[in-house]
Amino acid sequence: MYKTAPVPLRLIIRSLTYGVLAFTSLFVSAALSAEPLTPLDLKGLLGHIREKRNAAPNVQADFHEEKVIRLMNKPIVSSGKIWFQAPSKFRREVAGSSSSVMVSDGQQLWIYYPNFKSAEHYSLGKHSPVDAAMAAINTALNLENVEGTFHITGAKAPHGYDLELLPRGPSMKRLFQSFHLHINDDLLAERTEMLQPNGDRIVTSYSNQTRASIPASLFQFIPPVGTDVSTPLGK
Amino acid sequence: MRISDLIARVLTERRGTVWSVVIVLVAACLTVLITRMALDSDIINMLPGKFSSVQGLKVYNSDFEQTRELTFALVCHPEDADKLEEFAPGFAEVLRNQPWCERVLAGSPMETPEGVHDLQSMALPLLLNLDSPVFTHALEVLQPAKMRERLHHLHEQIAAGSPRPQFELEFDPLGLIAPAMKPFAEGNAIQEDQPLTSPDRTMRVFLVVTNQQSASAFDSQKLMRQANEFRARPLQGWEGGPLQVLITGRSAYVSDISLSMRYDVVATLLGSMLLVGAIFFVGFQRWLPLLGMGFALLLACLVGLAIGLLIFGRLNMATIGFSSILVGLGVDFAILIFGRYQQARGDGESHRDAIATSVAKLGRAVFFGALTTAVGFLALVLSGSLGFTQLGVLIAIGILFAGLFMCTILFLFVRERQTVMRHDWLFGLVKRYVCWSVQRPKPVLIFSTLLLVGLCAIGFSPLFALPFDASARSLEPKNSQASQALAAIMHKMPTRWEPVLAILRAHDPQQLHDQWRKIADHWAELQRAGKIKGFSTPAALALSPAIMQSNRAQLSGLDFAGVRSALDQSLEAEGFSRESFKPAFALLTDLESMRDPAVPMPHWRDHLPKTSSWWFLIDRYFARDPLLTSGFVTSNAPIATHASYESLSQQLPVAEVPVVFSGWSYSLANLLPWSQHQLILISALMAIFDAVLLALLYRDWRLWVIQEITLIFAVGAMLASMKLLHIPLNLLNVLAFRLVLAIGVDYGIYIILIWQKAHDLEHDVAGVVKPVFLAGLTAVSGFGSLGLAHNPSLSGLGIACAIGIFWSLVATLFFTLPAAALTEPKTWRQA
Repeated sequence: MYKTAPVPLRLIIRSLTYGVLAFTSLFVSAALSAEPLTPLDLKGLLGHIREKRNAAPNVQADFHEEKVIRLMNKPIVSSGKIWFQAPSKFRREVAGSSSSVMVSDGQQLWIYYPNFKSAEHYSLGKHSPVDAAMAAINTALNLENVEGTFHITGAKAPHGYDLELLPRGPSMKRLFQSFHLHINDDLLAERTEMLQPNGDRIVTSYSNQTRASIPASLFQFIPPVGTDVSTPLGK
Repeated sequence: MRISDLIARVLTERRGTVWSVVIVLVAACLTVLITRMALDSDIINMLPGKFSSVQGLKVYNSDFEQTRELTFALVCHPEDADKLEEFAPGFAEVLRNQPWCERVLAGSPMETPEGVHDLQSMALPLLLNLDSPVFTHALEVLQPAKMRERLHHLHEQIAAGSPRPQFELEFDPLGLIAPAMKPFAEGNAIQEDQPLTSPDRTMRVFLVVTNQQSASAFDSQKLMRQANEFRARPLQGWEGGPLQVLITGRSAYVSDISLSMRYDVVATLLGSMLLVGAIFFVGFQRWLPLLGMGFALLLACLVGLAIGLLIFGRLNMATIGFSSILVGLGVDFAILIFGRYQQARGDGESHRDAIATSVAKLGRAVFFGALTTAVGFLALVLSGSLGFTQLGVLIAIGILFAGLFMCTILFLFVRERQTVMRHDWLFGLVKRYVCWSVQRPKPVLIFSTLLLVGLCAIGFSPLFALPFDASARSLEPKNSQASQALAAIMHKMPTRWEPVLAILRAHDPQQLHDQWRKIADHWAELQRAGKIKGFSTPAALALSPAIMQSNRAQLSGLDFAGVRSALDQSLEAEGFSRESFKPAFALLTDLESMRDPAVPMPHWRDHLPKTSSWWFLIDRYFARDPLLTSGFVTSNAPIATHASYESLSQQLPVAEVPVVFSGWSYSLANLLPWSQHQLILISALMAIFDAVLLALLYRDWRLWVIQEITLIFAVGAMLASMKLLHIPLNLLNVLAFRLVLAIGVDYGIYIILIWQKAHDLEHDVAGVVKPVFLAGLTAVSGFGSLGLAHNPSLSGLGIACAIGIFWSLVATLFFTLPAAALTEPKTWRQA
């Protein structure tokens, strides 16, 4: 695709960012109760989240997503189920008439459209800008050295906590403007909201979250026979 | 009256007149120098101009925009890679604000909104330039049903979560831009392999087009002064560890080379004068004749330079080595003539008689020595290299004048009343050696023969290969910052090699389009067959007036109102924002306007902003004359051998399309046979010339054979030394062989001519061997001092010549002399 029709790489990265942020945000949970959170509280919270992640690296949930994009007059609504395994494996299945499956094992990213019998394939780990974006986002939401990449603030909400991540550097700022996260009193993500520099916005709500183990095969994807596979960023 | 007597009389009785002539000569030469001095610093002019690949390089270097392009690179430590990424955009902005900067490319234009917009602005002419069937097919997307279907499909994909439809709609809302850009994207696949960030992210490259007025050395120096001032400033906003700023590019190279010329002139000339002067003083312990020798040599240089300027108009940088070579060569004559003069004075002759004697005895040898050397250097004309042609001619002129001045002007600096040298330890040593080697020549001869035969075995043996460096780096100046920067960039960037350059000049736009299409089709076949790795051409940007006219006609059958209406309805039905599709409606309006034959045909040049980053790509294809263009072919492997050159030169051309293939690697591989030709054939011609001359001069076949063997020994030992010292041959220092033949033969001439006529061994032979020994040392010093030059062609040539002349001297002293003594022993015994 890239060789046959030049496309703005920035837009692909931005779009992928939505998905990855949504998945990895499930991992964020809170353990402190103060309002607003002081830097010390926040540090403790982040430390606790890392402990949680290390103790139980899997999480799965149902989601409901609403995308407001400039191209469309009305928001696009979708729902489905997601699975995530730290640090970077995930699967996202969108149900309904416009169904899709997004799978990554950390090295490959597949997006499969059953209705069209087509799939998009992205290779990660090749120093591509997509790779950099995903690595940066994963790092942020796994909270590894996150303070170096983002300005983080937090506050105690009536039912849980609100966290806000603002990118520090220009490269991250090109990807998204802000990322808001609400976690409930059970320390599980309930709602995320991402704002893009061009004004596009994506809001995701989660329910039925569990930390049950996930079979490794769920993070593998082999396109069904007859699938039209494209590589938008080349091989 | 003999000429020698006449010279002696004029020099002693009419000194004022001689000085007047000298002053007039100096004034005339200085006038020429001041009014005509112009230097050419282009390294390409060191290569033979008759090759089309070399001509192609010259065209690409002079007519394409890259002459004004500088490459900046920022290099940081691995731990600062993230900081570098953050810092790069700000650095690019600072670069953009420099008064000498016109455009900056800091990343793929596709990654910036401006770059995408600029590309969209080129869409209309490129769409109209599509082949008619492709254009017809592209227009099908405007059919109402197809339009509805496409937008519905994209809507479904967005709902499914794909990022792709979003960017497709932002880039190409109507579905016409992608097909318009397809040939352009395909034709530029090669550019994708050249990222601006190193894989380890510790280096970022920025391409800068400057506003440099011309590619001249002075303008390049001016630009680089500004660029270096910019580099020296503290980097605002950088918070990491050490950050290196590298700069390279043609201007950087030209600046480095032209500045190094000044150093080269001073270092080589001073080095040569110092060494030669020291050797002269050690040999004769006289200051005034040393001054006279220096004056005569400088005058010879001046005359040679002035005549050279009158002949060529503009002198290449290679000629800066002319002075030191001339000093190294011309001093031979001074040493011989003055040595003989001193000997005559020692014999009790008057000043005038001693002058006459020295000129009479050695004038002939000096004349033939100057002639063989001049012919040797004139043979550089056959190299086809403008730089070396000039060097050869200048030295040939200079050496003939040096011979003349040493037999005349030198004596203006010799006092009539001078004291005789009390103790000449050097002469004493030489005399002892000459006595010993002539009385018992066999031991010396056996030892020297064994040594030289052994060296020849190594030198001429195919078992020990003499490396041949045909890379462009072998021609780059030493210690050049531009060269080091380029090496650092090449080291950090992904493995790739220089493509073959294809230069095409067309008569009109239609021919340009047609010819590039033929070429692109042919190269695509080669790529499919695996014969080349890839290629890129300006075919998609070469607009065809005929095709555009034909496609314009197709537009008249299109119902644009219906298309607009269908687009409106589809947007409404799928829930797309009409605002976001404004560019689609604008493109429809532009297309509709094309139906009117009175509307001029669009050209992407008129639509692309002057500041657009896409010009970096376009300027690689189009020269300042838009009908002069270039394409690029990446071979399957780097072009390092003549075989790979031949293979490509047979495969790449297209019948009836006059393309010039070039590029540094391609050209140097093309020149390899030329270089070998220089080494073998022309050196052989020189040897034949020398052989004939020596036969006429000696008229004794045995002495002639001795001299020929001496020359073979010298060349063989020179080759062996270069092999053992790992000094590679390159495209330029192969010229040293003929110079060694030309200079080395002189020593034999001096020795054998005097041997033939010697009556008193101690007086005649030892009296010449000492000056020959000193002359050899001075020549080695003169050429060796070229090794100080930063210019690699000069230093390489100097070192190779110094080695060759050293072995010529050794062979002459330790083989020629005892061999002559063994062959004609009576001559000495009768003395």
